[in-house]
Parts: sequence; structure tokens; C-alpha cells
Amino acid sequence: MKKIERKDFLKIGGGAVLGGLTGYVFSGAPFLGMQWLFEWTQDQHVPPGGSESYLKTLCEACPDKCEMSIRMIGERAVKIETSHSGCPFGQNALQLLYHAERIDAPLKRTGKKGTVKASAFERVSWESALKDISVRMNKLIGEKKGHLIAGINKDYNLSAALLDRMLKAAGSSSAFYEPSLKSLTQAALGGYVDYDFANTDYILSFGARLLEGWGSPCAMNRAFVDWKKKGTKLVHVDTIRTRTASIADQWLPIKPGTEAVLALGIANILKRMGRAAGGYDWMAVVNAYTPEKTAEITGLQVKQIEEVANAFARARNPIAVAGRGGKGVSSSSAEIMAVYALNAMVGSRGAVLKRTAGLGEPALSANAAASLREAKRHAGLDDFIKNGNFEILFVNEADPLYKSAYGAELEGKLETALVVAVTPLLNDTALYADYVFPSLSFLEADTSAGSAPLKPYRKAIHAGDAIIGLAKMVDDIKGSFPWNAYVDLVKTYGAPIGAGGVNYNAQVLKEFLSSLEKTLKASEEFPLSLVPVELTFVGDGDGLAFPFVLKSIDEKTYSQGKLWVQINRDTADREGVSEGERIDIESSRGEIGSVRAHLTDTVAPDTIAVPLGFGHKAYTRYARDKGVNPKEIMANDIDPLTGAANWWLTRVKIS
Amino acid sequence: MAIDLDKCTGCGACAIACAQENNMPIFEDDSDIPKRVSFLELMKVTNDRDAKYPDVEVCYIPKMCQQCEGNDPKNPKPPCVSVCPVVATDVGDDGIVSQVWSRCIGCRYCQASCPYEARAFNWWKPRYEGDFKNSLNPEVSIASRGTVVKCQFCSHIWKRERDRAVENGVLDINAVTYTPACVASCPTKAFVFGDLNDPDSELCRLLEKEKDRKFRLVHTIDEKDEKTREKLMHIKNFPNPKVYYLTSKAWIREMMRFK
Repeated sequence: MKKIERKDFLKIGGGAVLGGLTGYVFSGAPFLGMQWLFEWTQDQHVPPGGSESYLKTLCEACPDKCEMSIRMIGERAVKIETSHSGCPFGQNALQLLYHAERIDAPLKRTGKKGTVKASAFERVSWESALKDISVRMNKLIGEKKGHLIAGINKDYNLSAALLDRMLKAAGSSSAFYEPSLKSLTQAALGGYVDYDFANTDYILSFGARLLEGWGSPCAMNRAFVDWKKKGTKLVHVDTIRTRTASIADQWLPIKPGTEAVLALGIANILKRMGRAAGGYDWMAVVNAYTPEKTAEITGLQVKQIEEVANAFARARNPIAVAGRGGKGVSSSSAEIMAVYALNAMVGSRGAVLKRTAGLGEPALSANAAASLREAKRHAGLDDFIKNGNFEILFVNEADPLYKSAYGAELEGKLETALVVAVTPLLNDTALYADYVFPSLSFLEADTSAGSAPLKPYRKAIHAGDAIIGLAKMVDDIKGSFPWNAYVDLVKTYGAPIGAGGVNYNAQVLKEFLSSLEKTLKASEEFPLSLVPVELTFVGDGDGLAFPFVLKSIDEKTYSQGKLWVQINRDTADREGVSEGERIDIESSRGEIGSVRAHLTDTVAPDTIAVPLGFGHKAYTRYARDKGVNPKEIMANDIDPLTGAANWWLTRVKIS
Repeated sequence: MAIDLDKCTGCGACAIACAQENNMPIFEDDSDIPKRVSFLELMKVTNDRDAKYPDVEVCYIPKMCQQCEGNDPKNPKPPCVSVCPVVATDVGDDGIVSQVWSRCIGCRYCQASCPYEARAFNWWKPRYEGDFKNSLNPEVSIASRGTVVKCQFCSHIWKRERDRAVENGVLDINAVTYTPACVASCPTKAFVFGDLNDPDSELCRLLEKEKDRKFRLVHTIDEKDEKTREKLMHIKNFPNPKVYYLTSKAWIREMMRFK
């Protein structure tokens, strides 16, 4: 064997070191090491990778049932793709799914009601929560007091239908829906209006901000894209130059709150053309609203009104749309009837009354039948909050404490009752709940097309399952719930059926017009009008819990802790208000303080536009204590048919 | 990219889709505008400076990085690229003005030089509380505190689609198409995205057709004739952005002039 010289030894050693270094460099290890070092020193979060896949589901929030595609990385959902959808709201779904404050298990109250802290609740099991509530329900129904069990739903959906059925079977008539386009229209007309926006050629919108979250945005946006191509004309009646008013082919800048009068004025002109609807008494009221009188009240010109009426009558398939607002709608029953009457007068085929087929009437036990005889009937939610009483209240996704003009009255009543809130996030009403049931986002729920793409969040379950589970534990009710889970109903529920004819109630119309006359009179004390505006994603408050929605709010709506209201320039000059100034707004009900004034001529003279959706007391750290809730000072006259407060127009002053 | 403002309803779906796709940091009060980090801003504009009620109008302008290229497209020099001391921002072959967060030293020259205020600075460390972390996109890295970030037309989607095409044996780079998150999310299809270098693309045909409606954000040189334009370009470097807006409203175009 050859002896290794010192020189060779160094050569071999050097070669080995060189080879090792080369290998190390080319292996990528130093780069990876550097990357780790950077991540570690910068305390940077690195989203874990995983295999990419796409899951499909349906969004059943509206009748359009859009197909949604969810981009998955491993087990994580990272993006919602909605390439065939016209609905913007699907983009929010992941923020609810993975919300930092999502409720992960049924909660039972241990602390004082009304406290914001999560420590006021303890996590309990579904069995113990349902058992406790069912014991209370059994006792109440056994005492023939089932009518003291009430429920408030947000949307017309399967879980709401199940809650309605449970309340009916308990002998209660207190199943209410939050005032919305659908619930108000159903109360006023006996069915919701299915507008055919895709095939109409003339749309006359009475304050319905069609392109700002109104109705079913999906169908609306799809139809909107085609309007220009087809030559469909949109005429929008509004006090504020909103985006819908800017997109419209014609905008009628009306005095706030006088939409119903304009509808009657147009009906008056149509009547002279030989059209009629609504019976003798109704038409007698219409007769009084000549174009001249209408022009005087609405602030429009006689010529404008006549032109619109003529165009409406001449159009091939015109529709008149009622329901002022975007997501939050406030229209009196008289206004909804007056606008719908225009459709009837011209024989519109694009506005059809429909109802959703329910789950049928449950069989009543002797106890339930006895308590139903005791039950007081209320026209709607605000009427119930003001005049009704209850011992057990179910709140299904709704937030009446925040959204109702009677929130303060409800607060007192919630203190003493057993309140069960079904919601994925702790909203203002849930602050007064004794039990909070975590419910699902649509990504975790089964649809008519198939099973859910994602597993439910921790212990959250579908609201329908919670209600079925509870109903099965109540002796007088369980017979009416033959289903095991909501999935048994998901395929069949929700089919629209035709609704009967409209009863045009002339008495309600007369009473409304006389009260409107009083409101419209500019008083010395409250010279200004307050009307709401909305941002599409914030809506009437539901969107504010989502941090990406906060990112999209413009600086003249809410910035740096202050809500901005919009005031007409000349009016602001007269009132001595300058841009950005802090003002208080006072109505006969009270005062909202410390909002900033933005002077803009997009708002009518003598009018203040206030954004809805701000000023939550709870609803996660993102929505809490941001701005003020104008509902606190908004008008609260209760409508006789819808039972909802008509808060659209409020007389106010700046102080 | 072209954005038809006549079709924009101002809903904000583009901004939310963008935030979701690009891992926007979440702060307790993201309505706090100086602190806000976002790539796409939905600007609300009105003509109420010049008009009185009821002649006013409202319009929304979605504004993101305009992907400028400077006077000479062959040698692109956007205002931000020429000032970056560490080449954290550059124009790639795809024409997109890139920004590498981890290379940025946070001097904010680029933010100051950007004519469209399209860049945002991470004053705080991006945070994703609780389960929000689950929805993070692994293709977009999380920026650290003290860096400038901006829209890159979702170029990570382009790279994903390119890799997918290569896997399928398609090696022609021009055959790869993709859609940025904002474009895909628009409920009224107001956004059109495509290749400005390809005269047959939907985008180019649209811009050709809509000569009267198209404009670029405060780019006054567009109104001048060819000769004046050339003369001016010798004097000054213009941003020459690649985002076009379409509108039938004269007052919006009027707003784009300096007065």
C-alpha cells in the first residue's frame, strides 16, 4: 500500500471539504436555512401548504341557488370562486367560517345579562342545554301558557319554518320575522312579489336601491348587465343620489318620505287613461291626488310625473317596485299597496305575488289549543316588542335589539325572559341570551344538491337540527316533528307557490296619508329630515363583523372612530355646520351624538343622510363600538298591517 | 385591464375578494384609513364640486396598482421602480410591476413616488387572529412589519396556471390565461382582463371599440395629439398605466384633468 504523503492528505481533505460545500450549496439547504432564519427572526407566519382541490356547493341564500366553488389547500378553505354568480356576498363566507370570535359550542349564561365579555358564558353540552330548555317549555305548555313562547326569525328559510312550526305546536301565535323586504311585502299584500327583472322593459323603483344589496342581488346584477343591451329603462325615485340613482336612466329627486304620494299621483293619471285597481274606496283616495297636488307634496314637477306615468303605461312589460332601502327596508304597508296597485293597473306580467310553501299546520295538543285561545295577536315584530310579552324567546339569527327601533324596549323584556339565541357570532341580542346555540355558515350546511362541502365548525350544528332536537324533547310538540334532521327536509322545502289576490285596504291608506301629512310639515323644533343610506356590504349591520368589510368602507362613511353623516351644502351653511364638524342629531325620541358632517349635494336640501349598520354594542370586536346606531332616534310609528316601525323618515334637528 | 365604470355598482366585492386572495392583514379597526393595508381601494367620487342637487351623480372607481410602464414600453420605467434602492420592485417579462416583500427595506420612496397612491405600508405586523389563519393563501407570502406591499394583478395565479400548463405539456407562455381575484369576483362583469400586447384579445378589441369612453386615471398626456405627446415624453417620464377605465359620463373624465 502506498504511503499517504502529507500533501496528498491535504488534497483529499481539501477535496472532501470542497465537495461537501458544493453539495451543500446545490442541495438548497443554505437557502432554506436562510428562509427559516428570516421567518424566525421576523416572527413571520407561514401559511401551511397542502394539496390543492376544489369543492362545490350551492348558495341557497336566494332562489337563484348559485353554484359556488371553494378552493381548498389541504383541509383549509382559502377562497370562494363564484365565476357564474351575480352575488357579491359569497366573498364574505370564509370570514364567517374562520371568524376569530365564532362560537364553537353551546353557551350558557353564568354572568349578568348584557355583558360583552365572553366570560359571562360557559360552554355546555347540547344535551344539557336542550334538556334545560325543554323542561321550561314542558312546564309552560303544561300550564296552558304556550302562548308565552315566542320566536324571531331573520330570513325565510328552513330553520325559520321549523321554529314557526314548533311555536305553533306549542300553542303560540308569536312567530315573527325581522322587518325585511319579504316580510313587509307579505304582511301588506299577502305574498312576496316575484319581480321579473330580466324580462321587463321599464322599471319604476320607489326608493328601492336595486343595485345596493336590495332583494336578491344575484338575479338583480345579472339582469342589470342585460338592461343596457335590451334597452330596459330604470326610473329611480329617491331623496339621495345613491349609486342606483346615478345608474338609473332617470332619477326623480323626491322629497323624503313621499314615495307613496307619488304612487297615488301616477295612479291618478293612469285612472284617467281608464285603468283601475283596488276598489271604490281606494280609487276615491287616488282621485284626490291630482298631478298638481302630487307635485306640491313630492317636490317634483307636474310634467315629470305625467311623463313617467305615460311611459309606465305605454311600456310593454313595466314593473313598479316598492321597498325603500338596500338590505334594510322600511316601507309602510300603504306605500307597498299603492305601488303594487300600479302593477295591477297596467296589468304587469313582471310582478307576480308568491308565497313559500311552509311545513303545514301541526296538530295541536289539548294544552296547546287552550293556550292558543289565550294568545294575543300582533301584526308584526315591533308591535310585539312594544305590546307583547313572553317568557321564552327564540331568536333565530336575528338581531332585533340592534335593528329594531324598539331595541331599548326589548332590552328590558329580555332581562326577565329565558332567551335562546341561535347565531354563529355573538350579536347584540345574544348579549341578553341565556343560551346561545352556534349555527352554521352555508359552506357547512347540506343543500338540495348534496351534502355539505365542509365539516361543521367544532360543536356548531344546523339551526334546524337544534330546533328538531329540542322539539323532540317537548311532550306536546314531538308528534309534529317526525323528522330526524334538517337534511330530511332540505330537498323539498322552499318551493314557491302562488298567492291570492291583494286586499287594497283604503282605511290603512287614509290613516297613513294623514299621519304622513303631519310628519312632512316642517316644524320649528325639528326642521330637518333624517333618511338612511347603506353601504352594500355593511347593509343594515350584518356585514360589520367581517374585517375585510371594514377595509372597504370609505372615509366619508366611517373613519378613525367617527361615523359621518351627509348634509346638503346649503342646509349646512344655514345651520352653521362646516365640513368634518362634530354634530349631534336630535329627534323627538332622543339624540345621537358626535357624528361628523360631510357636506355634499348628493343629498336633498333640508335632509341628513345617516349610514345604517354602525353602533353595535357587541357583534365581535370588529363591529363593537363603531359609530352610532341611528335606529335609536328614528321614527317608530307602528304600521297597522306590517306591525313594523316605519323608520325611513324622521324629523330631526342639529344640536 | 379595463374597468367599465358604467357597470360598477360600487358593491365592493372586488375589494373583499382581493383581501381574501392576497392575505390582507386583519386589524381590529381596519376602517382606520391611515393604518389600513389593502391593495384595492373603492373610491367614491361625486361631481358635487361643480354641480348642485339634483344634478349631482355618484360613481365608484376601483383603484389598484395601475401597473405603469413609463414612456418606453420596451424599457419599462414606472415611477416606483426607478427609486427603489434594493430592487424590491421591478417590471417582469409579464409586464407586471412586481414587489418582493422580503426584499423591501421599508424606505417608502416608492410609496411617495407612486402617482396613484396604490401602495400600502405595513406599519404594524400583520396579524390573523384565531381561525382567520386557516383561510390564508399559501401562494402569497405574509409581509413583515415595515415593508411596502401592493397589487400585482394576482401574479401568483398566473404562475400557478403557468405551472399547470407546463405540467400538461403546454410550453407556449402566451397560451396561459388567468383571472385576478377582483376580476373573477365582479358580479356585473365590469372588469375585463387580458393581454394588451395581443391585438386579438377581448381586452384590446374592447378598448379599440370604446375609444370614446376609455380614459386612464389622471393621465393628462392622453388628451394631447401624437406630436405633443412625443414632445412631452422627451421632457418627462409619464407613468403610462396599463389599467383603463370606461365611462360614458363626461364629468368623470373631466375630473381626471388638473384644474
